[in-house]
Amino acid sequence: MNCHDFEKLALALARNSLPDATARDQGLIHTEVCNHCAARLAQERALLARVRAVAAEMAGEEPPARVDALLVAAFRAQTVATASSIVIPARSRVGRRFSWKLAAVAAGILILISVMAIIWKSTNSRMPQREDRVVAPTPLNTPGPRAEPPVGRDQVAGERPKNLPKRVRRHASVKSPDEAEVVTQFFSLREGEDLTTLDSLQVVRVELPGSALGEVGLPVDPETMNEPVKADVVLGQDGLARAIRFVR
Amino acid sequence: MTKPMVPSDAELLRSMLAGDERSFTALYGRYKGLVYRFALLMSGQASIAEEVTQEVFLALLRNGGRYDPQRASLKAYLCGAARNQVLLLMKRERPYVQLVDESDEGQEVPIAQLISDDDPLGDCARNEANRLVRQAVLALPARYREVIVLCDFQELSYAEAALALDCPLGTVNSRLHRGHALLSKKLRAAGLDPAPDTEVMRCFA
Repeated sequence: MNCHDFEKLALALARNSLPDATARDQGLIHTEVCNHCAARLAQERALLARVRAVAAEMAGEEPPARVDALLVAAFRAQTVATASSIVIPARSRVGRRFSWKLAAVAAGILILISVMAIIWKSTNSRMPQREDRVVAPTPLNTPGPRAEPPVGRDQVAGERPKNLPKRVRRHASVKSPDEAEVVTQFFSLREGEDLTTLDSLQVVRVELPGSALGEVGLPVDPETMNEPVKADVVLGQDGLARAIRFVR
Repeated sequence: MTKPMVPSDAELLRSMLAGDERSFTALYGRYKGLVYRFALLMSGQASIAEEVTQEVFLALLRNGGRYDPQRASLKAYLCGAARNQVLLLMKRERPYVQLVDESDEGQEVPIAQLISDDDPLGDCARNEANRLVRQAVLALPARYREVIVLCDFQELSYAEAALALDCPLGTVNSRLHRGHALLSKKLRAAGLDPAPDTEVMRCFA
């Protein structure tokens, strides 16, 4: 073996990852007779030792708890969405035998939803005192250029402000812009907390039972209180929910 | 006494895609550090590392069904996804990323950039050396940095690194050689590497 051949093996020798035992032995024998290659191997080993010391020091470095919380929330939201998409075809198979009954039920649900939407809108417009509890624009504001401008009641979710931080925007906009959504104002979940003091916020789309509407003072229909409603939840750095808005 | 069975990555992924939250948290717990540290070493910024971790696992939630265990280990697959995200984010935030220099392949980084601004007597020597190594790695061109981070820091095999980087095995090998040479040069410039500079030459021994 000469120095040129040794150079091809130097990294693997330093890493002790050379699978060919004969080549390894020849390489090591070469370092006994060639000071230059012995120094080369020592250099590689010294470099690897330095790198591995850094790797060992970094072994405990992990993403903060807020990333864990966000991903678990995303997993739960996706699981709910997947489960509902599985249930629907099953119902449609049953519906082949009872299609007229299902059609009637579906029509009834559509009418009920329309009536609820009208009642909800009219109730909200007659509830000025509720505005006190509404967290006006500031909840999603973060200092500096990452601030989100005011989000009005019944704003179309597809029309998102362009200066919303990408991380927040990405998780807030689950649907494509052409699938316009109607959203409520954000409701604070912690009275008196100033969210502008937080370094960063995350918005996660989730599905909650209809009864959650009542938690923030919105009207709840007893017949639909167990049906899922979509909501955007604002999470702080610690992963705790700070504000919520509902989505239609 | 028998050891409890540790589920494989493929088993956990399958259960996760079927909606099992414990499988997701187990898989996430197994690889979150790997992805986060890869992104941190590549970018030098915790904010980018966090975002990369988030995006990689969100993508796994959405598209985990596309992963082919016959083609690559999950470790290599996640590193590949993290690498793509890091490059994307660093391109987006290029004006704000420090010490990333694609053009200085053959040049020295000024020593001032590799020396601590803090009082060196105030820090432990080992920590200071580690910090300088991290800075020297960050100062490498991305194509050498990524291969060093994968093979030396994360201890992926050359084959796994080739899959993660979507390049031939020989490219990994040559980039690792070149990357080590550059890193040694930078460390010597910072007074860290006592080993002599050696050039490849013909030997008739």
